[in-house]
Amino acid sequence: MSAAVYLEGITKRFPGVVANDEVDLEVEEGSIHALLGENGAGKTTLMNVLYGLYQPDGGTVHLDGEPREFETPRDAIDAGVGMIHQHFMLVDTLTTAENIVLGHEPRKWGGLAIDRVRADREVRELSRRYGFDVDPEARVENVSVGVQQRVEILKALYGGADVLILDEPTAVLTPQEVADLFEVFDELAAEDKTIIFITHKLGEAMEAADDITVLRNGKNVGTVDADATTREELAELMVGREVLLEADKEPADPGAVGLAVSDLRVTDDRGVEQVRGVDIDAREGEVFGIAGVDGNGQSELVEAVTGLRTPESGRVEIGGEDVTDRSRRERIDAGMAYIPEDRQERGLVMEFDLVENGLLGSQHTSEFAAGGRIDWEHTREHAEEIIAEYDVRPPNADAESASLSGGNQQKFIVGREFARDPDVIVASHPTRGVDVGSIEFIHDRLLDLRRAGKTVLLVSSKLDEVQQLSDRLGVMHEGELVDVVDPDRVTEEELGLLMAGETPEDAPSIADPPGGDR
Amino acid sequence: MSGDDSTIGRALGGLVDASAIERILISLAALGLSVVVGAVVVLISGWVLSPCPSAPFATLGGLGEFCYNPIEVYWVLLKGAFGSTFNLATTLQETTLLLFTGLSVAVAFRAGMFNIGTQGQLVLGALGTGLSVLWVAPVVPAGLVGGVVLVAVGLLVGAAVGGFWGAIPGALKAYADANEVITTIMLNFVATGIAFTLVSEVFKDPGSQTVQTRFVPEYAQLPALVLGIDGFSMLALVGGLALAGLVYWVLRGTSFGYDLRTSGVQPDAAEYGGVDAKKTMVSSMALSGALGGVGGAVYVLMVAGQWQSGIPSLGFDGITVSILAGNNPIGVVPAALLFGALKGGSLVIEFDLAVPQQLVGVLRGLVILFVAMPEFFRMAGIRYGYGDDEPAVATDGGTPREGGADDGGDSE
Amino acid sequence: MSYADTSRKRRWLLGAVGLVVAALIAIEVLFPANPFTGLAVVLLTLVTDPNYVGSVLRLTVPIAFAALGGIFAEKSGVINIGLEGLLIISAFTSIAVAATLGGGTPSQFDLWVAFGVAVLASVLFALLFAVVCIEYKADQIIAGLAVWLIALGLAPFASKVIWGQVNSPPIATLNDWTVPVLSEIPFFGPVLFDANPTVYMLLVAVAASWYTLNRTAFGRWIEASGENPKALDTVGVDVRKVRYAGVLLSGLFSGIGGAGLALGRVGQFIGGGTTMINGRGWIGITAYLFGNYNPLGAFGASFLFASLDALQIRLQQLGYSIPSELIGIIPYVTVVVVLAFVGRTQIPDAAGEHYDSGED
Repeated sequence: MSAAVYLEGITKRFPGVVANDEVDLEVEEGSIHALLGENGAGKTTLMNVLYGLYQPDGGTVHLDGEPREFETPRDAIDAGVGMIHQHFMLVDTLTTAENIVLGHEPRKWGGLAIDRVRADREVRELSRRYGFDVDPEARVENVSVGVQQRVEILKALYGGADVLILDEPTAVLTPQEVADLFEVFDELAAEDKTIIFITHKLGEAMEAADDITVLRNGKNVGTVDADATTREELAELMVGREVLLEADKEPADPGAVGLAVSDLRVTDDRGVEQVRGVDIDAREGEVFGIAGVDGNGQSELVEAVTGLRTPESGRVEIGGEDVTDRSRRERIDAGMAYIPEDRQERGLVMEFDLVENGLLGSQHTSEFAAGGRIDWEHTREHAEEIIAEYDVRPPNADAESASLSGGNQQKFIVGREFARDPDVIVASHPTRGVDVGSIEFIHDRLLDLRRAGKTVLLVSSKLDEVQQLSDRLGVMHEGELVDVVDPDRVTEEELGLLMAGETPEDAPSIADPPGGDR
Repeated sequence: MSGDDSTIGRALGGLVDASAIERILISLAALGLSVVVGAVVVLISGWVLSPCPSAPFATLGGLGEFCYNPIEVYWVLLKGAFGSTFNLATTLQETTLLLFTGLSVAVAFRAGMFNIGTQGQLVLGALGTGLSVLWVAPVVPAGLVGGVVLVAVGLLVGAAVGGFWGAIPGALKAYADANEVITTIMLNFVATGIAFTLVSEVFKDPGSQTVQTRFVPEYAQLPALVLGIDGFSMLALVGGLALAGLVYWVLRGTSFGYDLRTSGVQPDAAEYGGVDAKKTMVSSMALSGALGGVGGAVYVLMVAGQWQSGIPSLGFDGITVSILAGNNPIGVVPAALLFGALKGGSLVIEFDLAVPQQLVGVLRGLVILFVAMPEFFRMAGIRYGYGDDEPAVATDGGTPREGGADDGGDSE
Repeated sequence: MSYADTSRKRRWLLGAVGLVVAALIAIEVLFPANPFTGLAVVLLTLVTDPNYVGSVLRLTVPIAFAALGGIFAEKSGVINIGLEGLLIISAFTSIAVAATLGGGTPSQFDLWVAFGVAVLASVLFALLFAVVCIEYKADQIIAGLAVWLIALGLAPFASKVIWGQVNSPPIATLNDWTVPVLSEIPFFGPVLFDANPTVYMLLVAVAASWYTLNRTAFGRWIEASGENPKALDTVGVDVRKVRYAGVLLSGLFSGIGGAGLALGRVGQFIGGGTTMINGRGWIGITAYLFGNYNPLGAFGASFLFASLDALQIRLQQLGYSIPSELIGIIPYVTVVVVLAFVGRTQIPDAAGEHYDSGED
């Protein structure tokens, strides 16, 4: 029997980078296959080739033994390939059923109208068949992320997909939803559907998949049987060297409270309350970590702390001073540095060069603009210093920031924020989409600041990151800080439960930082 | 004005910047294409007009007569713009006025505010100038001193009124989220209506049939200095040029300008950088309105000598000027000269060739249309072998912003 | 600004209107000799006067058609701010063609031919706009401004070529259609069944637009194309085609609106200043924003703006001693006030953005 999917020697280049380098991939019909690798390993690119979004520069796609050429996703869909992207391809303002039948609407009255009764019925039947609980009449913007994902899967199935590709399907799910999703995988596989899912989490690959293929730097470095492999083997395949697990970190020496948040309530743009009474007391010389599945209020919390969003109620204090009503600029002046979650939206002005970007946030300080006149010479020196110290490449202050790679953009932001000589640092996903070398560098700098007695609030969805760097670790779920635990003693299982909103009995909660004397 | 080396160095650096050159090329190409399409419009209109009142320019069997020769039209247009002292004065008069309105639009556009309301700001600013000068005139001595005082008062009041009128849509956008394109256009209608009513009901020149105020004193009108023709003052032109330099410096060299530009290109980043978005919206619109108001003041003090109904559409032409200039205050200077020349020449083509002067209005729209589609010229450039076809290569070998090789959260 | 906020503002606005009405009534009752009385009586007689309501409907035609067109374009993801220009083009073309065909006295047939040609001209203009925005990735706002400014230059230019001045001589207009029997119904008869054909067209177009957007596959594609074009693309519907269709529909509707004003009501092209269209396209944009992209809501808002327009004409006729220019700004002021209250509407997520399918 031939494989349902066989990718043969796929090569895909982008200007200046080889995303896929002669990758082979074979997936049996009715099996669940995990595509494992670090960010930037080329997993999504490979799947976009299979899905017809990209044309390969070399190699062939085979489906059921037949060589195929997909020029558009339409071709791939017609051949029975469906893809569920990381960002859902759903129309928020339509109902789930309308989304599922989009492009294939059943018609009545000679095509003049959508047969909505039939559409709803078909969706209901399909959803029952795979044990999904999807209300065909609910508007997509009103259902949870987990349900939206099911709508995406149903949409692919409705379009006749036999091969389902899922890009990082667990990134936005709670542990419980993840478990449900894996059950869905099993049901689909039982119906002879072939599933390929992209992940960078070893545990998930081992738990859900039959086979695991590991990509590293655009190459297939091995396909293994999920039951016969070990975490260590997979980790080595992924990283290509022993995983550096422990950052150098001496015991904390916490001082006074540097950043305090009390009973903070924040609503999002839609008016939904996202932060529901959070209390934080991060101390000088301490990294206070916040873990949680994305979208549980972390973004809104950070925006309220940094002055980008007005909270509904509660207080924010910097060094004991109430700054709740202070503007963003006043908080910068009060000694707050902020590494934003979205560097291309907020952290950098993409059209500006690095000289101008080095000024962002300091454009009113007497150092750079005494009397409102900008000292460009000094600004340029400042940018060049950041570039040199943080190894930003290319080392050219006149480069437009849009021309830099993500990692270098991030290094520049980190450099600029740390150069403020801040007292409080809010770092939101500081290493997202950043290469391994830069990650270590950014981690070291954060720990330097901790050593220098600064207060660090670190928000990240990477568990290993928050666990390694934090002295205390708060876990957010649905806008609440479920618990604050000792990151050295908490287990991954306990964290998982906390992130799902449950409090395990023996979680190592701590009210005060270890080593603290108050 | 700033005289330090670094500012000048940056200015030059900005001009030789690749994207700046591209911008200039696109503006020139858009202009060229507009001239070509305009020629077609002229040809067709000549055909529509046939039978021609005078000898036709060409007769094509079956198609009929073509009355206008586009090349002649453009030639007369050009000659008309610079051919005589009088025409030159007309051209420079228009150039001067467009400098102010062009700068007004440029400031707003750079701040990300589509201020289509310069026209209204200008109309009310002009009224403010006219009335304030008439009001103050009796209490100052005639002659040079009085003239200086009156001009200063007129300019200040014009700027203040225009700035206030501009700040309204700014505030509506900042605090009520009202789309400024629509509010500014509506406020143009409102401004014209208010000014007309005020003058016709309260401030009308009793000795006139038309709706206009009394004339401001002779000594309050800007002196010609050169050319010697009423309606154009070298003083105003020099002032306009200096203002262009000043606006450039404000945008480029001050904290306020940095805030304004950052808000214009990336509001989220501006907010992150501590820029008060709402305040910037209001202040940039107020500045824009003030520049438009000064344009109105110069119109009164240099051209009309009074407020009168039917002020020409200098505000709308300012949009074209600014867009053609890539919203760069320095670029506004040549763009204003160009449209000044078109205006100067348009009177002549109507007079000499009977081609309606509204042709300039058509060209105005075409220029904006073509400048709005840089992609067209880029594609054309690539097809014919100019320019490179890999526009967004990351200089460090990484993938550009929307590159597909990144599996991380940035990819999409 | 959130959706909840918008609807809150809408309620506020309704509340404010209610308060004003209540205050007027209270003043009326308490002080029978107040200066508002005359005005209130006039208003009351007007809204119950079929002639007035009928003339409001005619004035609604250009605004509402522009609004309907704007809905289709913007929902598909292309903000067409050039509606005003499309109205100008079709108003001019309709008069020019009618005058060419029939001189000063065109027949009804001539008028209908002119109507068709005018709509075609508007659609062609919209096509130009679509190509510029979709193929050449132009900034939609600036390209829309350009459409307006080109029309604002071209129409008077051509008027001068044809008639030697920016205004055309007056010509005949489209006859009203009277539906037998139904037109005898009190009030509604004369308003709805003894009206200009363009009014009937508008009523049909509003209903058809609502149906198309909400009940047909094409309508759902329009929605998807503006909200999440990639979702539409990945299920095999060509986003470009949907957007072309959206923009061309805006040309079609604006064409009917412009020709409807010129041939159905005014019977002349006026090219001075802001032309006879005089901002109705812009008001149309506000109307659909206020109507939250719903054809029915947009129609209601257009009717409201048109009634203000008709009111100022009527007040002038009644000889109110308010300067006409001042009354003339009422609709524009209303638009600004309405926008201030409504604020940002639920603009489609991807409106204004260029969409590129796949990679290049």
